[in-house]
Amino acid sequence: MKRDRLAQLRSFWGEFRQVRFGMVGVALLVVFLVLVFFERPLLTYRDVNSRWRDMMYWTDSPRYALPVWVNWFTSKDYAKSAVITAQNVQEAEGVRRTTMEFPYEFKAGRPPSDVLLQLALTGQVSLTMDIVRPDGRSVTYQKNTSSSGSQVLRISVDQNLRERVFQMVASAEDPAVASSRNPKQINSVGVLFGKAQPGVLSNPQILNGTYTIKLDVTCVGATAKLDSAKVIVAGGVSGILGTDAQKRDLWSGLVAGTKWALIIGLLTSVIAVVVGVIYGVASGYFGGWVDSLMNRVYEIFVSIPLLPILIVLSAVFKPSIWIMITMMCVFFWVGPVKTVRSIALQLKENAYIEAAHGLGASHRRILFKHMIPQLVPYAFASMALAVPGAITYEASISLIGLGDATVVTWGQILFDAYSSGAVLQGIWWWIVPPGLAIALMGMTFAFIGFAMDTILNPKLKTR
Amino acid sequence: MYWKYAIRRVIYAFIMFAVIVFIFSAIFNSVADRVMRAQIQETVNGESRAWLRQGQQRSQDQFLVWKAQRHDELTRMYHLDEPLMGRIFWRSIDTITFRLGQSTIIRSQQGSQNVMTIVTERIPRTLLLFGTVTVIDIVLGVWLGMRKARKAGGLMDKTTSVGTMIVYGMPAWWLGMLFIMFFAFTMPLFPSGAMHSTPPPEGIGYVLDLVYHMVLPVLTLVFLGFWGTAYITRNIVLGTMQEDFIMSARARGISERRVLFGHTLRASAPPIVTFSVLSLLGAFFGAIIYEGIFSWPGMGSLYWQSVQQNDIPVLMGNLSMTTGLYIAGLAFLDLIYGFLDPRVKVGGKA
Repeated sequence: MKRDRLAQLRSFWGEFRQVRFGMVGVALLVVFLVLVFFERPLLTYRDVNSRWRDMMYWTDSPRYALPVWVNWFTSKDYAKSAVITAQNVQEAEGVRRTTMEFPYEFKAGRPPSDVLLQLALTGQVSLTMDIVRPDGRSVTYQKNTSSSGSQVLRISVDQNLRERVFQMVASAEDPAVASSRNPKQINSVGVLFGKAQPGVLSNPQILNGTYTIKLDVTCVGATAKLDSAKVIVAGGVSGILGTDAQKRDLWSGLVAGTKWALIIGLLTSVIAVVVGVIYGVASGYFGGWVDSLMNRVYEIFVSIPLLPILIVLSAVFKPSIWIMITMMCVFFWVGPVKTVRSIALQLKENAYIEAAHGLGASHRRILFKHMIPQLVPYAFASMALAVPGAITYEASISLIGLGDATVVTWGQILFDAYSSGAVLQGIWWWIVPPGLAIALMGMTFAFIGFAMDTILNPKLKTR
Repeated sequence: MYWKYAIRRVIYAFIMFAVIVFIFSAIFNSVADRVMRAQIQETVNGESRAWLRQGQQRSQDQFLVWKAQRHDELTRMYHLDEPLMGRIFWRSIDTITFRLGQSTIIRSQQGSQNVMTIVTERIPRTLLLFGTVTVIDIVLGVWLGMRKARKAGGLMDKTTSVGTMIVYGMPAWWLGMLFIMFFAFTMPLFPSGAMHSTPPPEGIGYVLDLVYHMVLPVLTLVFLGFWGTAYITRNIVLGTMQEDFIMSARARGISERRVLFGHTLRASAPPIVTFSVLSLLGAFFGAIIYEGIFSWPGMGSLYWQSVQQNDIPVLMGNLSMTTGLYIAGLAFLDLIYGFLDPRVKVGGKA
């Protein structure tokens, strides 16, 4: 019996391999499985699963950065994000003074979106930051700070240094323009990385070269010290898929969402189809009033529009992802029932079923040993075809903001994108990849399911 | 004969609606109770403020007695004093008779807070959008399906089948977002949403303006929908072509074109209509929130609104009405099928 089944499976696989788009589906499925099983090494941000919604986790990234590969298609490339560590660290004895330098090699065709100096300090500290440009001009920023414990200090060019940057280039700019411009409204980062010449305030031309951020820290109090310092260049491009309005790395989100899409799709379709097949076979096999009753129940479920009821259930009960899968199973099982029932009606007329009856086999034995095994290929095809539906429904529920906020799903990324107005602003790299992933996953299972379908219904291949 | 069948089918649809409404009432009983109690409390508070403002010369005791009485009265009126089964029963009766109660925040265009008014003013808009798409989908789908069936296994058939599979799991609302981004913002050909310009033009301009606003949402749904219809049509037509009467028609020397469009299509019409409309019905109710992307003020957008504003009565009322429409759609389909295929009437069960 077991060997029979194996041979059956092998011959099915042999036929399946002939269907080209079926194999494309399998290949795509393998890609998705690789994304799931090699999630950890593939993630650029390791803790994305637990800290996707944690603003602190993403502070060092740029906002709305384009994907890195955009640079391949543009003549003026965007600056990449970078973290620069201190060099030339010199600590003077006695006065407890530390100096360090952070050289930034600026080679891109467009300025980064911001440059940040991030310091961890303890106690009373006085610090001076100098940004020295390749042409010798520099911006200086001084600050005295004190705190009882340790604190993190962030000095941003865009937020803290606008007026100083303005002062730095004002002498080079046309005096009429310089006096008319409000220093608070300049593109500070663009100006900082721009050539000092007339027009720098309105239309800065980039100045490539090595920019050095010099830091001079003097610790005043006895307990005061500089714990760490780094310079973060928030680039115009970041990561494989860029970042969103909350500075999150979209590639990491997408990879983390893959496993949830697969779990939602497969779990829902497998449970629902197993229940549906057993239900349909039992309904056809028992016949009579059992069949009538089961038909009525089936018709009730069929008459409920799926997405609306799922939306209302989610809105009222605020379910976790697992409850949501259960809810979907409750309504998905009706899919294969009608076909399975009609197949069962034919199967039960076969002589071997009667023979099994005559030999005293129980209903359960006949159902599970003689009838259901014959429906396995059909069941697999239905499972494959039910997967995209489950994924889309979860995404739809997430899209109106009812998703499980403890996990990252593609639908929720799209919800964030939509509610932050990414469509209006044309942030395509936030909208295209998650939806494309949903569509690709759906396509994968459609390829596999349709391929099985053509094998099961050979007369539909040609006429 | 057909009338008997039709009446039976319609009665059956009503029973089905009643049963489902009862199930909904049972599932959502506790939240509906909570909302109802809050609404009663609010009514009583409002009334007592008015009562006090009139400055009636009554004592504090009288006021409290009156307030408690009013509260009890309303509680009894909405059957909230009854046991669980009673509450579920009466709420079902209310829903079936379309007394859907008052909304908490959302208002209709005229400013009414009656849920029934809010939902019904949106039904024609949803029907307009999805009805248009259904018609275009079926025309395009049957046309393509026939072409596919004519040269089944050919290059055209294969490539379009792959097309069917490519769009199989694509969310309509996502494609809508892309189209809006591209056709409304990057290349401003169409409006980004809504049903009319503000203010809407008069006369013939009104219709043209409506059509102009419909183009993009319809285009998106048709782009996703007609592939499935084509695939279903192809399979049904191919199934019919195996029948003996087709072979005999061919043997009689009737041209292939007439065999296809005269004999095959006529015999396949009932299942094609049923299956394609059935799949479209499922697809549309699955894509209903798609309206929200295009700010199309139909029932789907109402789901967005009621979820965002947490307006439970509207959410529930909308669900009941959507379900009612869905069941009506299924019944309507069976009626068409019975009309097209006389065999159904005899069997009685669709």
